[in-house]
Amino acid sequence: MKNVIRKEQVLNHPIDTIWNAITIQEEISTWFINADFKAEVGYKYTFTAPKEQNCPQITGEVKKADPYTLIYTWIVANTNVETVVKWELEKTETGTKLYLEHSGIANYSGDTAVSMFTSFNSGWDNCILGLLEYLKNTVHAR
Amino acid sequence: MQDRITKILKAIADPTRREIFHALVVAATALPITQISGQFDISRQGVTKHLKNLEDAGLVKINTKGRERFCYANTNPLKEINQWLKFYEQFWGDTLDSLSNYLDKNK
Repeated sequence: MKNVIRKEQVLNHPIDTIWNAITIQEEISTWFINADFKAEVGYKYTFTAPKEQNCPQITGEVKKADPYTLIYTWIVANTNVETVVKWELEKTETGTKLYLEHSGIANYSGDTAVSMFTSFNSGWDNCILGLLEYLKNTVHAR
Repeated sequence: MQDRITKILKAIADPTRREIFHALVVAATALPITQISGQFDISRQGVTKHLKNLEDAGLVKINTKGRERFCYANTNPLKEINQWLKFYEQFWGDTLDSLSNYLDKNK
C-alpha cells in the first residue's frame, strides 16, 4: 500500500530563490509557518502555528541540508510519530522543479499510530486547514 | 485492549497477509479458504492463521456455509489510514501553492 506522499511542482523562479524560501527561517515564517529553523544538520527546529489556531507544534531534526536537498523529520506535538519530509530542487531550462516527499506512515508502530489518529480526531486537520487559510490571506494581503 | 488502527497496521505489515488480502480484493467475491490456500505455498493452517489476523483487523469477513468457510475482503478499515494520506496530500498541495504565491509576489 502507498505510504509516501509525493508532490512535484515546476516553479518559474531561480533555484537559489526557492532554496532560500524553504531554508531561511524568516522566509519560512512568511509563507509557511512561524519557524525556528536553521538549515544545519542536527538542528532541532520548531514550527509554531499562530496562537489563535490553538494548533500543536511541529518539531523535528534537520537530517540533510545540502543545496539542493533538504530533509527533516516531522513530529506533531503530543505524538511520538516521526515522519520524514524531503525537499529536492532541480534546475530546469526555464526555472526549477521542486520535489516534495512526506514518508513514514508505514513505520508507525502500534501506540504511536494510536496517538496520531487520536490527535486527528480532535480536529488537527481543521486546525491545519485554518492555518492554511490564514497563510493564504497573509500572502494575498502582502 | 489493542487499538483497531494498530491492528490494521500490524495486519498489513506482513507481506503474506498483504498478498492474501490483495487476492481477495482482486477476486471481488467471497472465496472458500481451500481455494485461497491453493494459491499460496504455505499450509492451509498458515493461511487460516493469516486470515484470522486479517479478520481481527476487520479487513476480512469470514462466513461459514456448511463445511466450508468463505472469506471476502473489506477495504473500509484502510480508509482510516487513507485519511492520513489525504490530509497531507491536501496540506502539502496547499503549502506548495503558498510557496508559489510567495515567490511570485517577491519577483
